[in-house]
Amino acid sequence: MKLRILLADDHEIVRRGLCSLLQKHEGWEVCGEASDGREAIEMAKQLKPDVVIVDIGMPHLNGLDTTRQLLQHDSAFKVIVLTITDSDQVIREALNAGARGFVLKSDAARDLVSAVEALQNNRMFFTPRVNDLVMAGFLDKGHTIARNEPPDLPILTAREREVTQLLAEGKSSKEVASLLNLSTKTVETHRSNIMRKLSLHSIRDLVVYAIKNNIIQIQMPPQLNGTTEGTLA
Amino acid sequence: MAVRILLVDDHPVVRQGLRTLLEGRSEWEVIGEASDGIEALEKVGSLQPDVVVLDVTMPRMNGIEACRLIQQKTPGLEVLFVTQHDSPQMMREALAAGARGYVVKSNLARDLLEAVEAVSQHRAFTALARNPQVQC
Repeated sequence: MKLRILLADDHEIVRRGLCSLLQKHEGWEVCGEASDGREAIEMAKQLKPDVVIVDIGMPHLNGLDTTRQLLQHDSAFKVIVLTITDSDQVIREALNAGARGFVLKSDAARDLVSAVEALQNNRMFFTPRVNDLVMAGFLDKGHTIARNEPPDLPILTAREREVTQLLAEGKSSKEVASLLNLSTKTVETHRSNIMRKLSLHSIRDLVVYAIKNNIIQIQMPPQLNGTTEGTLA
Repeated sequence: MAVRILLVDDHPVVRQGLRTLLEGRSEWEVIGEASDGIEALEKVGSLQPDVVVLDVTMPRMNGIEACRLIQQKTPGLEVLFVTQHDSPQMMREALAAGARGYVVKSNLARDLLEAVEAVSQHRAFTALARNPQVQC
């Protein structure tokens, strides 16, 4: 029986590239493609794939919250997170969310097949940097990974994180309500609770919080008189 | 005669996706790939493509600088930018550097084939995701 893979990335060109890469492998099939986290969750519930590959920087519901919600629904899901950065904080969040694979987008052509193979064999797959951090954290009783993390953050519920992302993406309360099938009044209540819990006073503060905590990712233009590292957000 | 295309992007997965889309057209041929501006300049010299599909944000040398140098070295070679920067300002920079086309990655499935066709026929094609498509 073929290994069934669900792909979630907001860029069709990336999905095409990933599909082409994965379908060269005999015995694997891409059973579905989603362009945001919410669609990925719906498709995963219907299609029950063996492996789900999720981009972190997706609109509407980012890859980390998608992973959390998928595993909350069914802890048997095997999730590989695709990311443009392997900063300590992103690694920590991906591991905490329950991802079993962690692949840098820039290395996906090289690493993704190995990552899917690892999960297929009930192993985990991490980049060398993640392995180093996990090992260092293990040897140092978890303190190494935690060293660079922000101070303890107030805990938002899954729904509040969704609302935070949508508001930070510039959507109005009415638009958020429509996307989440809630009343505008309920969204306004969530919004007040979020602002109170995080001690924020404006949408600008909320956007800054969302960027700092990887709830949304921003695209930085290159410095046109110099060179910059590539991003794939 | 086939339109010969050079793909330039620092992410192999994106190059693979672009190749898959472009190779659906029998009259187009992807003759090479480069992962940054410096490699693009080398390959423009050695492969002599008709169209360069170029990313903006890349290591070592970004696409805007590469486009300027390509135009100095091979005036008239058609350059199409394919980028995540959905920004009129960046589009102006690209056109000022000598590009004929500019499309954003979020709309590639819609715009790429039309853009390559236009640019290969020396027509301009620009399309931002947030603004109406402009074709000249």
